[in-house]
Amino acid sequence: MAEAKTILVRVKRQAGPQDTPQWEEFSIRWRPNMNVIACLIDIAENPVTSDGRKTTPVSYEANCLEEVCGACAMVINGHSRQACSALVDHLEQPIRLEPMSKFPLVRDLVVDRQRMFNDAKRMRCWVPIDGTYAIGPGPRIAPERQEVAYALSRCIFCGNCLEVCPKVNEHGDFVGAAIVNQVRLFNMHPTGAMHAHERLRAVRGPGGIQECDNAQNCVKACPKGIPLTESNNDVNRQALLDSILGWMFH
Amino acid sequence: MSAKTVATAEIPPEAAVVPAAVPDRSYFWDKIHSLTGIIPIGAFLVEHFWSNSYALVSADLYNRQSSDLQTIPWRVPVEALLIWIPLLYHGFYGIYIWSRGKANISRYSYGANWMYVMQRWTGLVAFVFIGWHVYVERFLTQGRSNYFDVAATLSHPLYLSFYVIGILAVSFHFGNGLWQFSNKWGLAVGAHAQRKAAWVAGAIGVLFAVVGLLIVCAFVFHWQPFQFYAQ
Amino acid sequence: MSSTKVILIGGGLAGLMAAIRVAELGHSVDLFSVVPVRRSHSVCAQGGINAAKNLKGEGDSTWQHFDDTVYGGDFLQNQPLVKGMCEAAPGIIDLLDRMGVTFNRTPEGLLDFRRFGGTLYHRTAFAGATTGQQLLYALDEQVRRFESEGKVRKLESWMFLSAVLDDAGVCRGVSAVSLRSGEVRTFPSDAVIVATGGIGAIFRQSTNSVACTGSAQSALFQQGVHYANPEMIQVHPTAIPGEDKCRLISESVRGEGGRVWVPKAAGDGRDPRTIPDAERFYFLEEWYPKYGNLVPRDVATRAIHKVVYELGLGIDGKNMVYLDVTHLPREMLTRKLGGVLEIYEKFVGLDPRDHPMKVFPAQHYTMGGIWVNNENQATNVPGIFAAGECEYQYHGANRLGANSLLSCLYGGMLAGPAAVKYAQSIAKSAESVSSAVYEREQKRQEEIYDRLRSQQGEENPISLWKEMGETMTQHATVIRYNKDLQAADAKLAELQDRYHRINLADTGRWGNQSLHFTRELGNMLVLARLIVQAAALRDESRGAHYKPDFPDRDDEHWLRTTRAEYDNGSFKFQFDPVDTSLIPPRKRSYTSS
Repeated sequence: MAEAKTILVRVKRQAGPQDTPQWEEFSIRWRPNMNVIACLIDIAENPVTSDGRKTTPVSYEANCLEEVCGACAMVINGHSRQACSALVDHLEQPIRLEPMSKFPLVRDLVVDRQRMFNDAKRMRCWVPIDGTYAIGPGPRIAPERQEVAYALSRCIFCGNCLEVCPKVNEHGDFVGAAIVNQVRLFNMHPTGAMHAHERLRAVRGPGGIQECDNAQNCVKACPKGIPLTESNNDVNRQALLDSILGWMFH
Repeated sequence: MSAKTVATAEIPPEAAVVPAAVPDRSYFWDKIHSLTGIIPIGAFLVEHFWSNSYALVSADLYNRQSSDLQTIPWRVPVEALLIWIPLLYHGFYGIYIWSRGKANISRYSYGANWMYVMQRWTGLVAFVFIGWHVYVERFLTQGRSNYFDVAATLSHPLYLSFYVIGILAVSFHFGNGLWQFSNKWGLAVGAHAQRKAAWVAGAIGVLFAVVGLLIVCAFVFHWQPFQFYAQ
Repeated sequence: MSSTKVILIGGGLAGLMAAIRVAELGHSVDLFSVVPVRRSHSVCAQGGINAAKNLKGEGDSTWQHFDDTVYGGDFLQNQPLVKGMCEAAPGIIDLLDRMGVTFNRTPEGLLDFRRFGGTLYHRTAFAGATTGQQLLYALDEQVRRFESEGKVRKLESWMFLSAVLDDAGVCRGVSAVSLRSGEVRTFPSDAVIVATGGIGAIFRQSTNSVACTGSAQSALFQQGVHYANPEMIQVHPTAIPGEDKCRLISESVRGEGGRVWVPKAAGDGRDPRTIPDAERFYFLEEWYPKYGNLVPRDVATRAIHKVVYELGLGIDGKNMVYLDVTHLPREMLTRKLGGVLEIYEKFVGLDPRDHPMKVFPAQHYTMGGIWVNNENQATNVPGIFAAGECEYQYHGANRLGANSLLSCLYGGMLAGPAAVKYAQSIAKSAESVSSAVYEREQKRQEEIYDRLRSQQGEENPISLWKEMGETMTQHATVIRYNKDLQAADAKLAELQDRYHRINLADTGRWGNQSLHFTRELGNMLVLARLIVQAAALRDESRGAHYKPDFPDRDDEHWLRTTRAEYDNGSFKFQFDPVDTSLIPPRKRSYTSS
């Protein structure tokens, strides 16, 4: 074998929300099938920069590591994506890791995506049930409808669609494609549809669907291939009808 | 219940009721913005390109058409309601919307993202061009400039290029705006429908650009291909 | 009836279900989770959830489901609650359906059911290839609804450290640390439900999520909560080995004709596609001509283990064998296995239609766990309840496929109301407990952190973790020898010693992940030792626990629940009789089923 291959990884470090960011470079021994998470574990085991300076392990979020939990989103070589499915052999080197920029920074690559969950509350993203008691089966649903709903409900709340959206930034409070998609999902469900009006009112509220200007980066960035622009246009139609009908008849 | 906690620690907020969001005015104003782009501004654009197309027939017909438009009843209120106010609103609210976005084509150089950025810049160019155009043609000359006045203006390379850029910007902004409208009003929902809407809107944009440039040619080269209609 | 507050540790399926039940009864919940609950490990469950709804005219019944579960678990479960779970299953599916879970449907719009391992019936409801995710989301949304009503408070990015026990040994709340600020706090409550899932991180080569460390279970065990059947660990035969984690490759790949093999020559480094058939060792087909590649999970796992560790024939000398579908028609592969093959493509970067997949068994599930009683998920410590994978109740010596989601939900459904009932029944509530009790626990926890921060030495937590994982995977998963288990225990004791010489590169407080990981590592080491010691004691083979020196099940001596108690650094074991009052034990044999 030739001499061991190495991987260069540059990480944008920031000790805390108030600190100034700085870049650190790490040199990592290459092995087959490595992903970005494996690099970060290596750095934790040997937190020394490529110029031999001792530093601290890089903080990052991760859980399932199979792209179903949404935790490990970060900006890799300029693109917002999940770190677990970012394979080293497919990335240009040096690999540049940055935290997502549209969420409050906690430390290093960790950001606080709580606003997505809060917006899901404000937009009433659930099927309101009467209780957990044994009161019989749910409504029947056509298989075609289930297939559409399933595709929408695979959203992992990773936040990539917010990160790449030009309309999500410090000037506006757009809830982002993920939440609009949730509104469509729950309006589709027979029980959820009984409360569609409340959701459609909410989605016309502060940071609502009116903020979307169709740059459509969301649908490209979605790791789960959710038809986000379809959801967006569908909710646009529903919200508009709801508002016009509400204005005319209430 | 929290008497046992230590005061120095980071206190997680207690559970609190989170009400559903309720509509605010921005939804209404945004919809009005997108509507004014089609009606009346887009409709006026159609009319404007139509009446200017008389320049492709003959100078006389163009001049007659032009003076006919000066004599419509209720001229000032009609202009204000159908042109000036919607135009000013669409322009300034558009700039406000622009100020709330942060373009990122350097990172994400996808087609629709380019369109997003182009829509803003062409909007600005169109707004300036239309403002200047209205100022010159409506206020400076009181709408009385005829075919030969316009031809004289367009003989200046500077004015000519301003017109060409303006017409292209307006056409792009209108065509892409139609596509935006089909999204924002939920007219095209599915991926196929979006693509079809994009083709239609794109074709309309190109049509306007071509017709606009032909009209310019009519003035610059005194070119009246439809002259035989008038004979 | 006054309102009480229940503390929940863990926001996976079990925890969320318990939270919903408590909130529904009108009480408030503090829900602690190291990750935002929507990112819990339950999302990883793929196959489905069992319920004998008998919608396919097969005559399936809840009793049959119960029988399959007990049989699959090799009769190590106490049977009454298992029966209760199977009887509740159809109602639980209805509930999930009402919550909006996107279950697959029949043309009539009814729930569709598929067949799964260990049964002859179409009993498994499923939502695409991500059933666990869809179930967790439905519950997450219900909890969010209660949250918006002010009934649930989530403490996400808070890590449970310990129970607060008063002088009588009664649980009065918990201590926890903020993973952001690093601050330790105590939280009073009359009842605590633990739902912290599996312990995969102890094995490193695991299909579990990063958060599944078992730290909470271990901490409670060290405080006096009993732990049962620690030796019962399920290993899945085919997973993609990864630097960071192992990802499952479903059994359906072999079902459609996938073949498992290794090169006959040890260390053969050739491209697998160039190795001729005669130089390949299709060991499953050779050893088990009747079932071939479709032998049950535990048999396949043991065979792969033998090929790699005993015969030294792993690919390139590494712990891997080929799972090969390249001989099958591409069109068929895409149509029938598209979703599964995509996982390999995404995470390995190679198309399995062209390249044989490299797979290896990986730790998958923890049957054992916190000891709970036969009625309502209560542990032996008053005020502490447990539900989900972290407890031992439902799966005996081996879990049946698609039963895990069900047991999480059922356990959560029982634990919630039980915790409320307990809290309302005690004479003296947490309100009246002296604040000294809380200050004492907080001080104890802060001292542990201070010690970790100030430790000197040359050890690194990640390196120790990897060594622990290698030891556990090699000696305490598939094939177990008493000699090796004892060696493993000695190795773990050595790691515990070296643990005190860990020198943290980061001793700060804010967002210091390695500090908290090191904290968990100490707890993992305790559980690791518990697993190997319990495994050494059980001299028989039952379910997932296999000792070549004791190849048969021995009901006379070992139809017993292993129940461990922590005793100042060592463990006291007792062996409780198993309640087999409903289905008498019979021989478990896959050849006859």
